Amino acid sequence: MSKQFLTLHTADKAHPTDIFALAATPTTLLSASGSSTIRIFDTTAPDFPLTQSIENAHKLGVHHLVTSKDGKVAASAGFEGTVKVWREDEAGVWGEVGLIKDSNKAGEIWAIALSADGSYLASTTYDGRINVWDLGQASMPKIREYETKGSFGMCVDLSADGHFTASGHENGSVYVFNNDTGRMLHSLAGLTKPIRTLSFSPASKLLAAAGDTRIIALYDVSSGEQVANLSGHAGWVLNLDWSATGEWLLSGSHDSKAKVWSLESRTCVATHSHGDQALWAVKWLPKTGRSELFALAGGDGSVAFYREAAGG
Amino acid sequence: MMDDGSFDDMLFKAISNEGSSQESLTASTDDFNDLLGTTGVSQTTLFHSEDDLFTNYYTDHISGMARKTETIADPSHRAISNSQEPSTKVEEMSPSVRDRNWVIKTIELVFESIVDALLEKNDKLSISLKTRSGSTGRRIDPTNGIVTVDGGLQTRSITFPGSTAHEAWRFTVLVRILELVHDALTSNAVITKRDIYYRSPDLFVKQAVVDRYVDDIACTFGISRNLLNVSAAAKGLMVGNFSIRRLEGTAIDGLTNREVRPRQSYIKHPLTRSQGTLVPNLNEDDILEVSTVRWIVVVEKEATFRSLVHSNLWVDISSQGILLTAKGYPDLETRAFLRELTTVAPHIPLYAMMDFDPDGLAILSTYKHGSYSLAHENSHAASFAASRPLNLPQIRWIGVKSCHLTSNSVLATKASEKAVGQAGGLLKLTTRDRHKARKMLEWDVLAEDGPEPEWRAEIQRMLLLNVKAEMQILEEHPGGSGKWLKGELGLL
Repeated sequence: MSKQFLTLHTADKAHPTDIFALAATPTTLLSASGSSTIRIFDTTAPDFPLTQSIENAHKLGVHHLVTSKDGKVAASAGFEGTVKVWREDEAGVWGEVGLIKDSNKAGEIWAIALSADGSYLASTTYDGRINVWDLGQASMPKIREYETKGSFGMCVDLSADGHFTASGHENGSVYVFNNDTGRMLHSLAGLTKPIRTLSFSPASKLLAAAGDTRIIALYDVSSGEQVANLSGHAGWVLNLDWSATGEWLLSGSHDSKAKVWSLESRTCVATHSHGDQALWAVKWLPKTGRSELFALAGGDGSVAFYREAAGG
Repeated sequence: MMDDGSFDDMLFKAISNEGSSQESLTASTDDFNDLLGTTGVSQTTLFHSEDDLFTNYYTDHISGMARKTETIADPSHRAISNSQEPSTKVEEMSPSVRDRNWVIKTIELVFESIVDALLEKNDKLSISLKTRSGSTGRRIDPTNGIVTVDGGLQTRSITFPGSTAHEAWRFTVLVRILELVHDALTSNAVITKRDIYYRSPDLFVKQAVVDRYVDDIACTFGISRNLLNVSAAAKGLMVGNFSIRRLEGTAIDGLTNREVRPRQSYIKHPLTRSQGTLVPNLNEDDILEVSTVRWIVVVEKEATFRSLVHSNLWVDISSQGILLTAKGYPDLETRAFLRELTTVAPHIPLYAMMDFDPDGLAILSTYKHGSYSLAHENSHAASFAASRPLNLPQIRWIGVKSCHLTSNSVLATKASEKAVGQAGGLLKLTTRDRHKARKMLEWDVLAEDGPEPEWRAEIQRMLLLNVKAEMQILEEHPGGSGKWLKGELGLL
């Protein structure tokens, strides 16, 4: 079975340099790059107009950008090592509401994830620690620190139901922590090379993880069993995203290819090329009409929007 | 005793001068820069240093001689009479030229003041020194793309006997180096940092101590290290189709690495093919012959240089170009030589092959924009009429870049690299690498609107991917690294 996706629109040169991250809200797509500016596009209008540019968000560039599932909170991580928290006001304008700095000297904050309601932020460090921050309090304190074996935490995710934190590491380790008990639930085996991306399914039942093995591994979150391998990428897998229903998984690779995987058949149903540079970011947009939409961005600085072909 | 920063480049003061002298120890660097600026202007017609290795040897000899005469005739360059007050001396000196005589005099002032302090039976002797630690205060000059000192240098004073034995040792080191530099200057001989070290190895403990203090002294005086008559031991290696003819009739041939007498025939036999010669210091009268050179390639590492020189590729292409390495961060001599080479032959393209890691890009930046730790040398050279700035704006970075990392690149651990030989040349970043990369993103050179957007993007990609790559990665290129290099040089 294959599925057709058509290019709907391309925002050329949305950023002057590599776009490292995309994040979505019900009505917008946010993009972040090696430049200091975060851009926000309206995804409800047919030509995806740029509605806001947050200048000087992070002077040295932005490497991670995430939104809460409800779309109310965004967080960005910059190369200087800090995280900024953003909120949208009634007029639809995003503004900074908080700054998180890891006081630990070795602790440049790297990957970040937000809980579904935007009240917690999880972050990784180069030396393998996973920290959780409470954004509900004015000072945004660190409320939990999960220790791992010291390998660089390259990616992190929080499950939509709030129960789990997962981290992927440079040495191939994947850990799942139980947020209720504060303990490690699983140390997942199977991958031996850097894990560059991982993502909980919308129902929090599955965890997808991928990286330099070029295989996407699917784990059952409660048992820790590996339930599937999705193979087909020829390059390192840099980014993963589940569609809102959990039917589809989108993946982006270092060799500029994006793939759409069917969870039902566990096969690749579509492959798209995005320029000839690394595809750093792939993102489903909230389903508004009958068809699914997604966005791709990477080394060429443009954002391409795709729509599922009718009847596909 | 003194009222403003005109004194702040004076190296030495007795601590007992209290009050006003303390102020001058930390006198604002703006004043210092003003001073440099004015001397820079006023000396344009005067300046000529016979010891300056960077001196343009195309300078008209006659006018050069005339300048020399003027310099010597300048009364302010005579030895200072002992009866004068220090403040008088400095006022007299400040508008003058910073040449050999000026440096000799400045060093003598330091020693004089030590003697004065001893005669006055002061408890402490003190020398103040500008230190160059960290990269704060460096910025890139937008007009010429050179890293310059931006007034952020720290001044510290080194006292004797000092509060610790270590401080007393530092004072002794400094005095000993000043003494050796003074000897070299008065006898008009050039000494190497290595020479200095071997004069008192027990005192200096290690070479790095000498290197640091020599550069600190040059920085404090606001002059190039060459004006101290101190050079680094030659570090750079080069090979290729060039020759250097010296006035006395000898010549260096870059392909055979032989010194030849005039009219002796050049026999280029494969067996005598050069494995590399030390980058020479060019004298004013030397003639650099590069008419058949079509490209210059600078490589970061000696290992890369050696493997290229031993390759079949090199046999194939050596008659057309020059290969050079400074074995890591380039020394002033190598940079000066390249600057000279590219000035003599500006049409020859200059390429750089560096590892894809933070140091590789920092080394590239040193070649192109000048050194961050020796920023006083970059700006100094730029401010002197007879010397050239040491930057190389035309240098072109050809690799290794993030686009050379392919999906087949294998991240090798050191162990598997040896065992399986699947090297791939790809390694993960260390904590130090990540720290250095982050610090580099703060450099002016890598600023968002700075001169090197590609470097900024490459450092960011490096951090995202968490990998670095050495030259071997190019072996994955179809046809190997040799074919890749030929392609980059336009030889295919």
